[in-house]
Amino acid sequence: MLQGNGLRVLTVTFFVMMSAYYLYPTLQNYSIQNEIASLEGEERTLYETDNFETIQSARERALKLGLDLQGGMMVVLEVRVDKLVSELAFERDEAFEAVMREAAELVSESTVSFVDAFAQAFDERDSNARLSRYFRNSDRGITRRSSNAEVTAYLKEEAGAAVDRAIEIIRDRIDRFGVTEPSIQKQGTRRIIVELPGVDDPERVRKLLRGTARLEFRLMIEPADMPVFIRAVIDYYDEDPVEDDTTAEVVDGQTDVASSDSATAADDGTFDVTDLIGDDVDLDLPSNKLLEIFRPYGQDVVIGSAFAGDTAAVMKLFNAPPVAALLPRDIEILWTANPISSQGGRDEYFALGVRRTVELSGDVITDASADFDEIDSEPKVSITMNSEGSRTWSRLTGANVGKKVAIVLDNVVYSYPNVNEKIMGGRSEISGLDSFDEAKDIVTILKSGALPAPVDIEAEQTVGPSLGAASVRAGTISLLIGMALVIVFMILYYRTAGIVADLALLLNIVFIFGILAGFHATLTLSGMAGIVLTIGMAVDANVLIFERTREELATGKTLKAAVSGGYANALSAILDANITTFLVAAILYSFGKGPIQGFAVTLMAGIVSSLFTAIFVTRIVFDWMIGGRRMNVSFG
Amino acid sequence: MRIFENPQYKLIEKRKQAYIVSGLLVLASVVSLAVRGVTPGIDFLGGSEFIVETSTPLEVTDIRLQLADELGASPEVKYFGDQTTLLIRTTASGHVSEIENAIIQTISSRNPGSNPRIVKTDSVGPRFADDLKRGAILSVLFALVVIFIYIMVRFEWRFGVGAVVALAHDVIITLGLFSLLQGVVPFSLQIDQAIIAAFLTIVGYSLNDTVVVFDRIREYTSIFKTETFDVVVNRSINGTLSRTIVTSGTTLIVVVVLFLVGGEVLRGFAFALIVGIFVGTYSSVFVAAPVVLELRKRARK
Repeated sequence: MLQGNGLRVLTVTFFVMMSAYYLYPTLQNYSIQNEIASLEGEERTLYETDNFETIQSARERALKLGLDLQGGMMVVLEVRVDKLVSELAFERDEAFEAVMREAAELVSESTVSFVDAFAQAFDERDSNARLSRYFRNSDRGITRRSSNAEVTAYLKEEAGAAVDRAIEIIRDRIDRFGVTEPSIQKQGTRRIIVELPGVDDPERVRKLLRGTARLEFRLMIEPADMPVFIRAVIDYYDEDPVEDDTTAEVVDGQTDVASSDSATAADDGTFDVTDLIGDDVDLDLPSNKLLEIFRPYGQDVVIGSAFAGDTAAVMKLFNAPPVAALLPRDIEILWTANPISSQGGRDEYFALGVRRTVELSGDVITDASADFDEIDSEPKVSITMNSEGSRTWSRLTGANVGKKVAIVLDNVVYSYPNVNEKIMGGRSEISGLDSFDEAKDIVTILKSGALPAPVDIEAEQTVGPSLGAASVRAGTISLLIGMALVIVFMILYYRTAGIVADLALLLNIVFIFGILAGFHATLTLSGMAGIVLTIGMAVDANVLIFERTREELATGKTLKAAVSGGYANALSAILDANITTFLVAAILYSFGKGPIQGFAVTLMAGIVSSLFTAIFVTRIVFDWMIGGRRMNVSFG
Repeated sequence: MRIFENPQYKLIEKRKQAYIVSGLLVLASVVSLAVRGVTPGIDFLGGSEFIVETSTPLEVTDIRLQLADELGASPEVKYFGDQTTLLIRTTASGHVSEIENAIIQTISSRNPGSNPRIVKTDSVGPRFADDLKRGAILSVLFALVVIFIYIMVRFEWRFGVGAVVALAHDVIITLGLFSLLQGVVPFSLQIDQAIIAAFLTIVGYSLNDTVVVFDRIREYTSIFKTETFDVVVNRSINGTLSRTIVTSGTTLIVVVVLFLVGGEVLRGFAFALIVGIFVGTYSSVFVAAPVVLELRKRARK
């Protein structure tokens, strides 16, 4: 009965069972999820605890859905090795900066690592110069006499270690954040790709991933210095109304800040020109670039306020050299971390005068926890310091009773409480938080540690769950309709042989999913497109065989001989055609990033499986039908 | 059921006409590419793209003006599928969160009741965009080289040239069509990673057809030793015609389904594939084989 197809049948059965084995967890997971969804409360928890292990293993081994089907966030992070190198240098001069710029150029044009680019640029600039002029580390044996090669090796080690440490820290932060099945992978020398399924609060994640966790306690500008500074800056930007031909612009009509319920209700010293004029009056007022986007307070430590979108422009105006010179030398301008008010949907932030000196930094922190304040029930982070920190803190607070201390995290000010008394126990709080989530995230960042080098978000993609679900639906429908149409067509065109080809096609789909599950590949939307495409191309191998068989039949051969001839002669064409498509898919896989790789994988899986089913499976069926059952198989 | 019972079309004789048609198409494409060019997507240009769902339908031009104020640069605003979904593209600099907030706040404050929600964010920084660009170009070049070598090894160099010429022809015409139809069709024709993937798929697919014809030519050359090469090639094409049409047909069916039902995200991709299937099938018959023929003829002289 088997007609010498024994080996073939065995192979096919083997692969079918393998596919079933690999796909089983997916089906299992699917039914478990349905079960859980239908249960509630007590029953659900009971079910989950009873079947914990099965649930875990089913989920881990089930076919993963890509972020574009599940919803979630993908972030490509880049560790700023350039900034790390800059910080490792104990001296930075013009030449150094020039080399840094050169290196940055080189890096953007090719895939060379930053350290290599730096070494190359350094060498090109002056082949006699020595890197040891800029880098020393006695612990690591880098001295004045170290060769360029030694310094380069040292830099590379530091960079590599920094990237690895960054990955660990990020992994830690994400674990604390609590994402099911995140994926964190290194790409190249300085990139980290983070995938977080199911996350739908991208803002939180961005902050969490980027925060370098530099916590600093700093004193602030003397309130007495404030009014002079404010006046000077405003005057600087006042434009002479006589020289101006155009009608002055009216200052943006803002509501009187004194009437808003901001916590620092400063009801004096506000320059509210809008009190005097309405929006639609064309007055010959001096226009003032600064006042258009900035509302000055000049009160205490608050310089003024601006809307979220304007803060960058305001900083530009404040950083203009003549203006920067007006500010006391040891003071810099920092913004509040969170908005102080939200007017008509636009968030407003305070600009504060903060001393540059870091009185106390985050490395003295031994513990941090998120709580609710007993008095006002606002979320806060309680921090505990080590003994050295406690001493410094008590000295600082003792010397500055009645003044304000800024709590700065990653260069924004979370709060600037008044020091009421000397604080002895090394305890402090970070308040001024938006939500309890923010408190938790700050605790996470502080606990996981400061990142060794700044990290930029190079690219990101966030897909909401509803869009993901819609994509799954669209993909599945395309798959089903496409399959149905092809099946019908094959039957119409090739009759009985068409039915055999259709069986092979169905088996094909099972195999493709099995291969994906077996290799723990992720199914993306483009992956589904690839499967749909494969359906159309999979029949090609069968078509080649059937066409050839028709030709053989036309020359008068018996059915059996014609089928043999068809398979034999079509084989070379089938192999050539499919191998080339496979090669192209492989190239796509290696050069593409993200969803494209998903597409390439399904294409490759599809080609392999369609080759297999066309050559083995259909042959077995035909042999059985013609040889064993002596059917008169029609080839259309 | 048969479409071609026993085709005996004189295709090789008519090849001069095919050259003219191809030549015109390629010329039109090149002109369009030079004049209009193609629009790279954010994958290669950098920038951010947002899909915003609203509860009430909004006017694209209104939104564009409203956002231009806020973002400092006029963004690209299109409908994505229906009038309650917008696709907003901007190359504005600044953190993605700020842009997101600006978009939501502007739309909701100036269009009461619209309740905008961002359902998809895609942002690519300039360094990453450069990487993706480099990857795309390398993959296309690499693919062409690999294909040329493979065909050369399996057949002979003339076939390799024929294959590469046909593929170049396909890619140029498809790109040209993208360039021509930009803004004309309601879906996005921007060149991003997915479209490059579609091109490479077209390349691979077109190659399938080409290889099948070449394989037949090789077979018939050894069987019909007395016939001239013209006749052999013609017979080969006719012999494989049924198969070519059927395979193209089935692939076309599924890709059209993908285009119609697969969702807005895949529409440009599916369109590229549809065009590619037509052009690819045409080129296997009227470009690849004739090129091999011409090269052979030149050799004989």
